[in-house]
Amino acid sequence: MKNVYIGEILKNEEIAQDCFLMRVALHVSFPDPAAGQFVMVRVSGIAEPLLARPFSVYSFERQNNSCALDILYRVLGRGTQVMAGLLNGTQVEILGPLGQGFEIKQNKKNIILVGGGMGVAPLTYLALHLNNYMCSSFSTMYFYLGAQNDEALIGVDELKKLSCTAITCTDDGSRGEKGLVTQILLKDLKKFSPEETMIYACGPKPMLKALAKILRKTKYSCQVSLEEKMACGVGACLGCAVPVKSRNSKPAYKRVCADGPVFDINEIVWK
Amino acid sequence: MAETEQINMSVKIGRLKLKNPVMTASGTFGYGEEYADYVDLNKLGAVVVKGLSLKPRAGNPPPRVMETPGGMLNAVGLQNVGVEAFISEKLPFLRKYDTKVIVNIYGENYDEYKKVTRKLSAAKGVHAVEVNISCPNVKKGGLSFGADPKTAATVTRKVKEVTDLPVIVKLTPNVTDIAAIAVAVEKAGADAISLINTITGMSVDIFTGRPHLKNITGGLSGPAIKPVALRMVWQVLQNVSIPVIGIGGIMNAEDALEFLIIGAKAVQIGTANFINPQATMEVIGGIKRYMEMTGIKNISKIIGTFKA
Repeated sequence: MKNVYIGEILKNEEIAQDCFLMRVALHVSFPDPAAGQFVMVRVSGIAEPLLARPFSVYSFERQNNSCALDILYRVLGRGTQVMAGLLNGTQVEILGPLGQGFEIKQNKKNIILVGGGMGVAPLTYLALHLNNYMCSSFSTMYFYLGAQNDEALIGVDELKKLSCTAITCTDDGSRGEKGLVTQILLKDLKKFSPEETMIYACGPKPMLKALAKILRKTKYSCQVSLEEKMACGVGACLGCAVPVKSRNSKPAYKRVCADGPVFDINEIVWK
Repeated sequence: MAETEQINMSVKIGRLKLKNPVMTASGTFGYGEEYADYVDLNKLGAVVVKGLSLKPRAGNPPPRVMETPGGMLNAVGLQNVGVEAFISEKLPFLRKYDTKVIVNIYGENYDEYKKVTRKLSAAKGVHAVEVNISCPNVKKGGLSFGADPKTAATVTRKVKEVTDLPVIVKLTPNVTDIAAIAVAVEKAGADAISLINTITGMSVDIFTGRPHLKNITGGLSGPAIKPVALRMVWQVLQNVSIPVIGIGGIMNAEDALEFLIIGAKAVQIGTANFINPQATMEVIGGIKRYMEMTGIKNISKIIGTFKA
């Protein structure tokens, strides 16, 4: 039987305007999350927020008799507002790890990660995993990270610890290259052979939609991690529906929580 | 230990015998398998599965859910695999468990209700049907059947005509006189009544001026609706003599006991499953502890003890 884990907040810091890094200590029996998996987080014993909130795993470390899970979040609504006010030592309920993570293909020499804003979180965890366990199977890893401006560009320092080439960009040019991350990627794309390249992406829907448009008539493989409002996280409530292509072109949906959050970019209907 | 063994939590909904009064509410527990890693399904009174229609349904476009104070709105739009896929792909899994399987059904017209019921009655491992005449999310059908005593009675009669399974009719709270609907379905032959389904509501994003749900309106569930549910169950109980199953915002054993005390024979746990996958087990455990604490050996000594 799986359980809801009770975690204890070790750290809950505002690392940039409205952007928080939370570290939660968990019992040693908490399973190792695969890159791209997520957890449902709920504050114990309170009425609001009522539902747990989904967050992808940003980092996970195992010590001898406990483990520490990091999540990265931006304050956007009631749930994250309450989370932002939590003090160290507060208990949180953690359900997970949940969902289908990124698929790692052995035959791809080039890895390209494309992140926008908070989308950096699952990609950083993936990059770490690739660095630690898969370094012999690929030769180059590029991390394209974009945000609206310098202030919103989160997690760049963590990228520097990885063996990857980091390309940062901002919409207003206040840091790194000026432009949308998808446009910066497009300029470089022809350097990578489609057959030998795997692209992993996570970010706001307009960014992923733009990426889908760029890749539509190419042979590049691309996996995207999606976000949607969800209630249960385990595939029961059918709240987190994402439109997918179907054979008869009738509407069809998959569940971000249980069928995803990672999908092949070509599977999704980008409206 | 001897004390504990004497505690009897079993209840009867007409001919349907349950090991305890705690079921899952339709649409909040998938087809059972979604929660089988978290809950020993053998310990449930019954599993009520996601509402099934004759043909598979894709459901509504997202966003489909939104949290609101003390609850949530949903407009899933009756997404389901269809009755045939349920029987071939989902039911074999549930058959492995020693629990009652109640199948929630939905039709867009009387004929569909009958066809779905016939198919389920022929399948092995279905113990009862729960007729959804109340889902507020689909424009055709749903609301119109459950909002009018005549159509509610007709659906009940049509379903009864084609099955020997116990028929539970699930009522919508989005009506003026819930007792009148309850009386009508009882007269039409319903073996039991369950209520309430979700209360229609909506929520607006003040920064975009758009509804939070793509469907605009959705069904409100969760602790916010419990007092309304309790009031409606009580009103129905005063007007019918068939068993009534209480649903609506039950989060813990205390909430469940309120429904049992006013006379509900059983309860269904819905939104609480989303918040705590083990909510049903905690409700069962909590009722048992309450019985130990109060020295009540048989749950029948709790049901209907309300002193108005």
